[in-house]
Amino acid sequence: MNSITREGEENRFLTHKNDKCVGCGICASICPTESIKNGPVLPIARGLVDMDYINIDKNNCCLCGLCASACPFDALEFKINEQDLKEMEEYPKWIKYAEIDTDACVYCKACETACPQDAIKVARTLPKRENLVLGEIDVDQEKCINCKICEELCPGDAIKVKQTGRETFETVVNEDKCVYCLVCKRACPTDAIKAVCSSCAYQDIKLNPEEFKTHGNTVLNPDSCVNCGWCQEICPVKAATVIKPFEGEVSYDEDMVCKGDSCHACQDVCPCNAVIISEGRSSIDPRFCILCGVCANVCPQNGIHINRTKMNLENIRSKSWQNRLSGLTVGK
Amino acid sequence: MPVVIDSDKCGKIDNCPGEGLCIKLCEQGALIEKEGNVILIPENCDDCDLCIQNCPNQAINKV
Repeated sequence: MNSITREGEENRFLTHKNDKCVGCGICASICPTESIKNGPVLPIARGLVDMDYINIDKNNCCLCGLCASACPFDALEFKINEQDLKEMEEYPKWIKYAEIDTDACVYCKACETACPQDAIKVARTLPKRENLVLGEIDVDQEKCINCKICEELCPGDAIKVKQTGRETFETVVNEDKCVYCLVCKRACPTDAIKAVCSSCAYQDIKLNPEEFKTHGNTVLNPDSCVNCGWCQEICPVKAATVIKPFEGEVSYDEDMVCKGDSCHACQDVCPCNAVIISEGRSSIDPRFCILCGVCANVCPQNGIHINRTKMNLENIRSKSWQNRLSGLTVGK
Repeated sequence: MPVVIDSDKCGKIDNCPGEGLCIKLCEQGALIEKEGNVILIPENCDDCDLCIQNCPNQAINKV
């Protein structure tokens, strides 16, 4: 890990967390002392070399904290007298965030499956089957010929013919699994099954709709979230809201010869799973792109361009900080 | 056009800072190791240029 400490009237500390870094190079491009150099991003992402995504020149770094303020992945931690820059009033604040409205969430797990950073965990408790459907079922063993027709037909895997002796069998219903669909009863060749769905047959059956609900808890871990927007786009009930770190668009050189599947460098480094390779070309889905620019860094054709129009960072300290940061929003 | 390896700049794989990184990056089998050297199989090269971009010795080029 790259860390720098400098002690004087105040103690300043900067450290790079490689596990959160993606090698986008934003820090390197804004560093006022040019003390940050990107490593070989693609070989690192593919696990071919054991290096950090960036290297900070400890002798040259002025410990201003600009890099830590601008890193959209919170991969740089900057402290003055043990206090983190993000907690200090005078330092910039990101407006980016991701949030899941737990009141609106139906715990479908679509976001958990889609999140490229595994930042979302859904825990849920399903309603009990006996609270959803009521009924009765009984097999008359005298009439039953243990033909297994019911066993093969049962959609709930709730009825089984068991061998109890050399020539004896028993047909047994698992009432925890049975939903009284009556398939077995109707198919039984000897009319051995007596079953009724009380919920269908009797109007006065009272089930409590409160007990039909799935309960749960959806937790988004802000430490691993990259604000890519997958949860927001995929949520069927619009329970997720994401504000990305940058606004703008990605473009490709019109005459670029993209090698698609042969190269797939952009896809390998994208932290947002925003790159699609089809018909031999890569394309970036703007719904999921956060404009970090790591794809542009690794494209061997230099054919990807990041055109940021706005950085969702406010409370910029000074004109000189603003000048450095404005370099991120003029395209590259 | 397949890539060209400058053997003076390349040197042996033992001396490569990337320990033969180009071979590991090439998924087309166009770069292979032979007796400690990187050998190009031109017919396998797909011109993705990943080796050019990532060679720590800048030993791979296009003519």
